[in-house]
Amino acid sequence: DQVLHIVPETFQQVQHLQLLHSTLLLDLWKPLLPEDIMPGEDLHIRVPAPLVQEVKDSLDQHRISYRVLIPDVQELVDQSMPREMSSHKQVREGYVYAQYHPMDEIYQWMTQIQNNYSELVTQHFLGMTFENRPMYYLQISQPSNKPKKIIWMDCGIHAREWISPAFCQWFVKEILQNYKSDPKIRRFLQNLDLYVLPVLNIDGYIYSWKTDRLWRKNRSPYENGTCYGVDLNRNFNSSWGSIGVSFNCSSNVFCGSEPESEPETRAVAQFIRRKKSDIVCFLTIHSYGQLILTPYGSTTKPPSNNEELMQVGKKAAAALTGKYGTSYKVGPSSLILYNNSGSSRDWAHMIGIPLSYTFELRDNGTYGFLLPVDQIQPTCEETM
Amino acid sequence: IPDFGHKYYLQFSTEDYRTGENAGSCLATVLYPRKKSPPVVSIKCSHTKDQNEIQEEDNRLYQRIRQQSKPITGSNIPDSYGNIEPALEPAWALAVAGSSSIMWEKSTEDVGYFLAQVKSVKQWMRKDDVIEFDYTVLLHEMPTQEMISCHMRLTWLPGHPLKVKHFCASENRRLEEGSGLGSGSAAGLSEERGANL
Repeated sequence: DQVLHIVPETFQQVQHLQLLHSTLLLDLWKPLLPEDIMPGEDLHIRVPAPLVQEVKDSLDQHRISYRVLIPDVQELVDQSMPREMSSHKQVREGYVYAQYHPMDEIYQWMTQIQNNYSELVTQHFLGMTFENRPMYYLQISQPSNKPKKIIWMDCGIHAREWISPAFCQWFVKEILQNYKSDPKIRRFLQNLDLYVLPVLNIDGYIYSWKTDRLWRKNRSPYENGTCYGVDLNRNFNSSWGSIGVSFNCSSNVFCGSEPESEPETRAVAQFIRRKKSDIVCFLTIHSYGQLILTPYGSTTKPPSNNEELMQVGKKAAAALTGKYGTSYKVGPSSLILYNNSGSSRDWAHMIGIPLSYTFELRDNGTYGFLLPVDQIQPTCEETM
Repeated sequence: IPDFGHKYYLQFSTEDYRTGENAGSCLATVLYPRKKSPPVVSIKCSHTKDQNEIQEEDNRLYQRIRQQSKPITGSNIPDSYGNIEPALEPAWALAVAGSSSIMWEKSTEDVGYFLAQVKSVKQWMRKDDVIEFDYTVLLHEMPTQEMISCHMRLTWLPGHPLKVKHFCASENRRLEEGSGLGSGSAAGLSEERGANL
């Protein structure tokens, strides 16, 4: 069901709207009575889903302009319901995945998930952030005596890209909720382990909630505490400091004092290095831009397995587009985005992980980092 | 073009900023001379809507704003969760159009922009029919990833080009408060050539 906002301009339009209301039995939200519909006054009317197209066509025919005020009434209803009565969209424990969550809720969520799916999920410590917060990843693994290859996915390396941690949480939920009913997922987990780090840059993420919504970097101080933050995605040891960076702390692409100077970078790098011979795929999730980026950012020279990387990437983009028509471009960062060095994706590939990708999720700049809450679900669904 | 600069040939389609509906397509050439100066642009576009429709929509937007009895004011549009209050949509729409002229002026062959957020908007009520707004907008600069804060004053009358004056802070924020304008080096006010809404 949708709620439409209409401002009728003439008495003729008012009459037509009153006619639509009485013949189709539409639900007037404002004003309450059809006789109170006036030219120049706001009209809010709820249209049941099966009638939406018909009503819009009729409005278009009569040159009555409208705007969709609420694209999905059910969704709003679900979101405002108390937890116990939640709809199918929410997990048993009542977590709303189609909303952005602050860090303390994400910590709680990780504990809940481990408790609720203890046969499959274990929470592991990765390291500490600069401001002394623990970094945890979730390991989703079907018990078996054979050794398994690993797919790594991290989210939230850049604080303001809120859709990214939202996706990691959604991803975990989808896999776990559908594990029993979906044979594809079961087969997947028979052969592969999933390691998911929902928020890499925890200090930055918290800062973007409390202080500066558009913050990007971590929160370590430089220049005697007069300047904060390293761009963690310029801090890895992949042609570090060579291009697309700044050595000035005040820059949003400050690469740090040396490769892996930051505790968050070190925590991830040390872990990946230890496990690298088992990791087949490294995914790092960002926004915005709607891109699937392959190595490298630091050079246009293609990686050795470029064809494979492109093939897999293109298949992913096609599957993504198939869901809601959202188009993604695929290619090396240096060619379709910009040059940069020290990225985690480049580093993962350089140490031998064959499939390494950066995902830039929705959108294309209209809302940019401030992606509306109602786009969380479709973005996550298509990216699955 | 050897010893001169780069020439780009572009074919692109346009879409409604809000709805994503196709709005037409354009053919353009952009010539960047090696020496720093604004590029030379020639462009031709076709619109899916005809002049009358566009005029009608402009008038509707204008009426929507004029109908408000109190000056429109707001901040953080969209908010942290991507919401835009319906009452602030017209102000946001004008901000999008106005900041595009700032971005047009500031962008170069290597540096581009997106509108990240309208930090604040305040309407100035006038005795004549012209609509006037004062904005602080945040532009997301690529590839530097910086957020550039710009002060924008916009005036509009349907049927006339949008007039935009702007002043952008040219330094990065060094201190920790989220206060836009930095230590104010002289970027100066510049009068923009108007653009049709």
